[in-house]
Amino acid sequence: MNQQPHIPPAPLAVRMTASGVTKRFDGRAAIEDVSFSVDAGEFVAVLGPSGAGKTTLFRCLTGLLAPDAGAVRIGGVDIAAVKGRARRRVAVVFQQFNLVSRLTALDNVLAGRLGHVPAWRGLLRRFSRADRLLALECLDRVGLLDKALQRADTLSGGQQQRCAIARALAQRPDLIVADEPVASLDPAASAGVLELLRGIARSEGVGIVCSLHQVPYARAYADRIVGLSHGRLVTDVPAARFDEAAFAALYGAEAGAGKF
Amino acid sequence: MTRAAATASPAERTLDQMDAMRRGFSLRRMRLWLFCALILAFYAVSWNLAGIDLSKLATGLPKLGRWIASAWPPDLTELPLFALRTAETVAMAALGTTFATLLAIPMAILASRNITPWPALYYPVRWFLNALRGIDSFVFALLFVAAVGLGPFAGVLGIALHTWGSMAKFFADHMENVHLGPFDAVRTTGAGRFTTIAYALVPDVLPVMLSTTLFWWEFNVRASTVLGVVGAGGIGQELKNSMDLLDFPRLFTIIAMILVVVMALDQLSGWLRKKLV
Repeated sequence: MNQQPHIPPAPLAVRMTASGVTKRFDGRAAIEDVSFSVDAGEFVAVLGPSGAGKTTLFRCLTGLLAPDAGAVRIGGVDIAAVKGRARRRVAVVFQQFNLVSRLTALDNVLAGRLGHVPAWRGLLRRFSRADRLLALECLDRVGLLDKALQRADTLSGGQQQRCAIARALAQRPDLIVADEPVASLDPAASAGVLELLRGIARSEGVGIVCSLHQVPYARAYADRIVGLSHGRLVTDVPAARFDEAAFAALYGAEAGAGKF
Repeated sequence: MTRAAATASPAERTLDQMDAMRRGFSLRRMRLWLFCALILAFYAVSWNLAGIDLSKLATGLPKLGRWIASAWPPDLTELPLFALRTAETVAMAALGTTFATLLAIPMAILASRNITPWPALYYPVRWFLNALRGIDSFVFALLFVAAVGLGPFAGVLGIALHTWGSMAKFFADHMENVHLGPFDAVRTTGAGRFTTIAYALVPDVLPVMLSTTLFWWEFNVRASTVLGVVGAGGIGQELKNSMDLLDFPRLFTIIAMILVVVMALDQLSGWLRKKLV
């Protein structure tokens, strides 16, 4: 799909495959027969009105929910079947950042290493030089190296989200799932965060699945847009081909009037 | 890991700086050690002042064991009297707590920086509440026994005063932390300050207040069992009499009675609080 000139560190590969994913709550399907895949280095935006099933889909992608039918395979492994540290293959970026506010930016990023190191290191917060170097490199990657020793709650919203992305990066994941990562940020910080996510997809060869509420952002930053409506995947197109018809199919004809 | 400083990445340079900062003798490390030493000293002094003597515990425990053994079977002949005295205790706690709540609400408004109509009174009110809170109901009861004579009335007054201070402070802290958005919204409609408090704040704060009141009632029942020891009525008085006479079967009955009532109240107030929140 995305054939932009860049040098992927790993050979271009499929990072995530969702096939026929169905999840029911009390017999009512929250998502039904959802199938799509994410390649290495690809930024996929998930759009859809509230209640379309994005949250359920994301919880299935991260392995927090096991689908009733179908499977989510990440790096070839069924993510619902793995437990504990094998979960580190998927990193999550949250709308509310979810940093530990009393820890420094560096300690927050080091949390990304918890799935890699023995438990005692996490309990004592004693990480090896290599891990700390990696964490600092991740902070450098998101432009926060000079804030490494600052407490997380003293960072601005945009900086907190960058720090959370560094945490996801330190996890060395196959897939980063970003759940409305810019919903609580101003436009400048939003653009910065999405730019960063796309850059990371390119340079690290990570697959990124990112839910968004603003269609223009999706069109500007994503390689591909998938649309969820009433729990079903109704759109799966390259971002440039997401047009007024696709918008109307997703959000209803009236909402789309004059948006393009 | 051999590398010239010039070729090190920014991350590596930062890491080296951080490690260098952590090594060696710094003011920060000295402060940390000093702090640890102070804490250790504090506990050492406390240990001495508290007269901790484990050998005394070793000789005392068997004595306690013999007493417990001699308490069986419990003496049930005076059960009606105990029931009356326990009811006295529960009533003392209920009345004391209720008076305290009624007094605490206006004080809490005065002691909330964000909603008080008279900010000048903020600190005096806080000091006053702290003074009430700092003196235990036990001490108040002692004073009131001297002032109004022996009996549960002294206990009620003691409970009311101490709980007044504690509760008002708790309510005020809660109100200072409450989300003021709705408060501001109602105020901008042109409502007066007290109307605004009643309309925007009370629905938010009321369940917490009721639940705290229940909690304090329950707490005061437990606390007021000992008020009898200073002559302020209730089951505590019987408790002290039995202890003075070393009448362990009687003591056993009283303690069992207190336990049953406290547990029942605990359940009741827990259930009520769940209903409220």
